[in-house]
Amino acid sequence: MRRLSLRITPLLAVLLVAACLAGPGQTVAPSPSAAPTPAATPWTLTLTDDEGTLLILPAVPRTIVSLTPATTELLYALGAGDLLRGRTDADDYPPAASALPVVATYEGVQIEEVVAAAPDLVIAGGNNFTSAADVARLRELGIPLLVVYAADVDGVLADIRLVGRAVGAEQAAEVVVGAIAARIDEVTAAVAGLDRPRTFYEIGYLPEIYGPAPDSFVADMVSLAGGDPITTSDPAVFSISLERLVTLDPEVIVLGDAAYGTCPDGVVGRPGWAGMTAVRDGVVRPVDDIVVTRPGPRLGEGLAALALAIHPDAAIAPPTAGTDYCPTL
Amino acid sequence: MTTDVATRRLARAQPAWLERLRHRPLWLGALGLAALAVVAVAGVTLGGVAIAPADTLAILGRRLLGWPVAVTWPASAETIVLELRLPRVLMAAGVGAALSLAGVTLQGLLRNPLADPYVLGTASGAALGAAVALLVPVQFALLGFGLMHLLAFAGALGAVAVVYRVSRLGGLSSLTSVLLTGYAVGSLLAAGLAITMYLSGQNLRQIFFYLLGSFSLASWPQVAVGLPIILLGSVVLLTRARALNALLLGEETAAHLGLDVRRERLVMLAAASLVTAAAVAMAGLIGFVGLVVPHLVRLVAGPNARSLLPLSAIWGAAFLVLADLVARAPTELPVGVITGVIGAPFFLYVLRRYRGGYEL
Repeated sequence: MRRLSLRITPLLAVLLVAACLAGPGQTVAPSPSAAPTPAATPWTLTLTDDEGTLLILPAVPRTIVSLTPATTELLYALGAGDLLRGRTDADDYPPAASALPVVATYEGVQIEEVVAAAPDLVIAGGNNFTSAADVARLRELGIPLLVVYAADVDGVLADIRLVGRAVGAEQAAEVVVGAIAARIDEVTAAVAGLDRPRTFYEIGYLPEIYGPAPDSFVADMVSLAGGDPITTSDPAVFSISLERLVTLDPEVIVLGDAAYGTCPDGVVGRPGWAGMTAVRDGVVRPVDDIVVTRPGPRLGEGLAALALAIHPDAAIAPPTAGTDYCPTL
Repeated sequence: MTTDVATRRLARAQPAWLERLRHRPLWLGALGLAALAVVAVAGVTLGGVAIAPADTLAILGRRLLGWPVAVTWPASAETIVLELRLPRVLMAAGVGAALSLAGVTLQGLLRNPLADPYVLGTASGAALGAAVALLVPVQFALLGFGLMHLLAFAGALGAVAVVYRVSRLGGLSSLTSVLLTGYAVGSLLAAGLAITMYLSGQNLRQIFFYLLGSFSLASWPQVAVGLPIILLGSVVLLTRARALNALLLGEETAAHLGLDVRRERLVMLAAASLVTAAAVAMAGLIGFVGLVVPHLVRLVAGPNARSLLPLSAIWGAAFLVLADLVARAPTELPVGVITGVIGAPFFLYVLRRYRGGYEL
C-alpha cells in the first residue's frame, strides 16, 4: 500500500500538468460564436441550423469551407464560390470547384487543414454525412459551423435559404429557390393527370439491391416526379430483397446507378428480373444520380430528368444539367 | 531460471553492441526515452499542414514555458500545434505504453507468446460496445467523450469479467482453458459485432474506422480523462515485476516461492484490462503494438520483467507515436494499419536474427 501511495504523487503531478495544458489551450482559437460585442458590429446574424444548434456570425463570412458537394455547388450558385477555401473529394461541380484544396474525404475531415484555412464559416452535412465526431471536434476548436440536412425537397429549399442568409446572399438564394420551385411546378403540372406507375429507383445493385427507404429524400423525389415509389421495408433499411421487388412488380425502373456502369441492357439478363413488368416492357431508364439526388441548386433539373425517365412523353422541358448515360444508338 | 541458456544462445546471434546493451537495461531505457523525445517532437512538428519547425518550437516554448517570443505565426498554427498535435502525440504515447505493458503482462500471465492485450476478449467487447453506441439514437458528449467511448470502455471490461468468471481464472484453472474461454467469448462478441454492423446503415463507416484505430480526434479533455486511467493501471503493472517473474516458472513453483497466485493474477489481469480498455476507448483497436513490442524488447533485453516492463512501456510509446506520425504523413490513414505495416517486417527481421535464442 505504501509503495502504491508513493507512486501516486507523480501521477498527480502529471494530472496537474495536463490540466494546466488543457486550461489555456481552450482559449487559443478565437471563438466567434462567443464574440462579446455583437451590438458593435453592423452585421450580426443568429442562425439555427438543421440540427437545432445556434450559430452567431459577427460578420459576413469571408472564408468558407464546404464539407458537402451540394453546399459547394450552392455557394458557387450564390456567387460565393470565391470565398471557398476547402471542399470534399466528392465535390465535382462546378468545374472550378476541383481547384479547391480537399479538406475532407470518405475517411473524415482533415481537421488540421480546416484549421489552417482559418474559415469564418464551415458548412457540414447532417445525418452523419460529416461524422458527428468531426462536427463536435470542429465546434470544440471554436470554428463557426452550420450543419445542413434536408429530409425532403422542401427541406432543400429551406437549406438554400439558410445558407444564403449565412453568407449574406439572401437575394441570390431566392433566385435559386425560385428557379427550382418553378421547375417543381412545371413537373407537377405535367404529371398531374397521368397514371402514377410503380417506380423502383435503383441506387445500387451489388452486393445487394439498394433502393430508397420509405419517406426518404429519393422516395419524395419519385413521388413529385409522378411515380409511385417502391421502397425498402423500413426507413432504416437501404437494401431491398429481390423477392420483395418481384412481389411489388415495378412498372418503371430508374437506374440511379447508371453513372457507375449499370445500363438497361444489363438489367434484362439479371437472374429473376425478367418477370417484372418494367423489364418485360423495356421501361428501364438511366438517370444521372448526381443531379437527381444531390440536394443542391440543380435539383429542379434533377427532378425534370427523373420525371422524364418515368413519363418520357410529359410536357417537361429537357433538363439543362446532368450527363446522359447509356445513350441508345 | 532458463535465462542463462538464452543468454548464451543470444550471445552468438547478436551483434556486439546489442549484446552490450543487453546487460544495461538503463542504457536501453535512456535510448528509448531519447527515441520517444525525438518522435514526439517530430509528431508535433510534422503534419498535414506545414508549419516551420522553428515556429513549432517557438509556439511550444511560448505557451508551455512562457518564453518571450514574438508571435510571427498565424493563430491557426497555434491551434494546430497545441490543440491538435500535442494531445494527439500524448495520447499515442499513452496508448502505446498501455498496450505494451498489457501485452507483457498477459504473455507472462498466460505463458503464451501469442497473447496480446486483446486475447481475453477486450477487443471484441470494446468493438461491440462502440458499434451498439452508434445504433442508439441518444448521443451525448462529456469531456470529449461520447457514448461510443463509454460503451467501448464498458464492453472491454465486461468481456474480460465474463472470461474471468467463466474460466475460473481466479482459481488455478489450466491456462489452456482460459485462452479457449477468451477465444469463445471473443467469437460470440464478434458475431454480435457483425450483426450490429449489418444493421448499422449509414453508421457503418464510423464502426469501420473505429475498428482500424485512429488518433485523429484526440483532444485535451480526452487526454485529461484517459491518461490518468492508463497511468494508474501502468503503475500497478510496473510494481508487479517480481510476481510476473515468479509466474513464468509456473503457478505451482510461484506458489512455493510464497506468491499469492490468485491475488496476483487478479491484480495483474484487472490492471492490464483497465489500461487496455482505456486505450481502445480512446483510440479504437490498434493491433500489433501489444503483441510485438514486448517480444522485441524481450529479444534485446531478456525476459526479466523488472527491465522488460518499463522498457516495453517506453519503446511501445515511442513506436506508436512514430506509427501515428507515419499514419498522417501523406494523408490520414488508420494507425492500426501502419503498426502492422511497419511492425511486421521489422519483427520478422529481428526474429530471424535471433532464431533459436528466444525465451518468453
